[in-house]
Amino acid sequence: MSPIIRVQGLTRRFGRRWALRGVDLEVERGIVVALLGANGTGKTTLLKVFSTLLRPTAGRVEVLGSVLPRDQDHVRAKTVLMTPNGHTYEELTGLENLKFATHMSGPPLSDSSLHEILVGVRLENAANTRVRAYSTGMRKRLELARMQLRTPELVLLDEPFVSLDEEGVQLVQDRISDWRSAGTSVIIASHRIAYATAGADRIVRLERGRVASEETA
Amino acid sequence: MNSLMRQTKAIFWKDIITETRTRQGFSAMLSFATLVLFLFSFAVGPDTALLTRLAGGLLWVAIVFTGTLSLGRAYQSEELAGGVQLLRLYPGDVRAIYLGKLAGNLVILAILELVLFPATAIIFHVDLLSHATSLIMVAALGTTGFSVIGTFFSTLTVHLRARELLLPLLLFPALVPVVLGSVGATDAFLSGDPLGRAAGWIQLLAAYDVILFVVCVWIFPVVLEE
Repeated sequence: MSPIIRVQGLTRRFGRRWALRGVDLEVERGIVVALLGANGTGKTTLLKVFSTLLRPTAGRVEVLGSVLPRDQDHVRAKTVLMTPNGHTYEELTGLENLKFATHMSGPPLSDSSLHEILVGVRLENAANTRVRAYSTGMRKRLELARMQLRTPELVLLDEPFVSLDEEGVQLVQDRISDWRSAGTSVIIASHRIAYATAGADRIVRLERGRVASEETA
Repeated sequence: MNSLMRQTKAIFWKDIITETRTRQGFSAMLSFATLVLFLFSFAVGPDTALLTRLAGGLLWVAIVFTGTLSLGRAYQSEELAGGVQLLRLYPGDVRAIYLGKLAGNLVILAILELVLFPATAIIFHVDLLSHATSLIMVAALGTTGFSVIGTFFSTLTVHLRARELLLPLLLFPALVPVVLGSVGATDAFLSGDPLGRAAGWIQLLAAYDVILFVVCVWIFPVVLEE
């Protein structure tokens, strides 16, 4: 089976600073990868390149069989990204945020389906509360709910465990397990090593914008 | 409904809901616009004939100033939600972002004008009611022109540090034909159009709106690329 991600010599520069300095990486379909590394080693930049948010400065990046940045639409249709702060609107309620996301994602889901998703992340009692009144952990749960609106082939999670209590962490880990069972590839970039590596099939460590080590978990 | 229409509607709905729930921003813009009109009237002085003659120009300057403030607000909620770039990750045509934001800006500016036009009539002693139909046409074309360019440039400057300064610097020169056309047509209609100049201004406005809309929609995807 062809890898879902194939990267050769990927570099990315921001002005004079190199965030990625020649990353070579292959990720097989349906596995969970923990992407570890200190601050500034390029984890977030790598996820942003995979999600099409950033263009590579040089190198070859192939995601889901499409070469980036040439064929971005195909990748966007089958990839979801969780950013550290999420993508939710403060003045909308939790339910309205999901409504917006479902209308943006494809044929919209019904209100009852959205409510079920909120129940799944234990936000049913805050469904009609504006997000600005949510705690950071609740926002993270809402972000997890937003990611469940689509059936992706590739899931990119940037610091998914930050600000979550034990129950929240378990929700994320359960969801990762569900994705894996469904054959979806998941890449987790995190500082919380124990959580990130718990269900991982492979551990990739980045150092100074390069892959320093790879091991099978 | 195709995905472009669905996404455009979703962004428009989200922006309008956000604006209605942060009413202090809208009230501040409205107060600012009225204040600008009052300042102009103080600057011109008590000469009623002069105030009436300048009314069209001063009204459109107030609309441009207030509209520029409104454009800045359009992306504020996006920045709080992690940045407009994240909207790009939804599958579909990214032009939906432009069209949704444009529709939102148009509606907000139109609501502001519902207050600004009567305020102008009172402050500058002009009879707008007898020219209402013609002035609504001018307002529609001028507001569309402003929103088409304004939405485009506000997206272009969204990530810049000095965006508050750069937005007007880029926007105002591009707005010259819109302001000229709107002021020219408004003045012509208010004076009864004795020289038959209004039609020319209206044609200029309509042509500029159409050309700019096509160009902005066409090149918008490039603007969003990082």
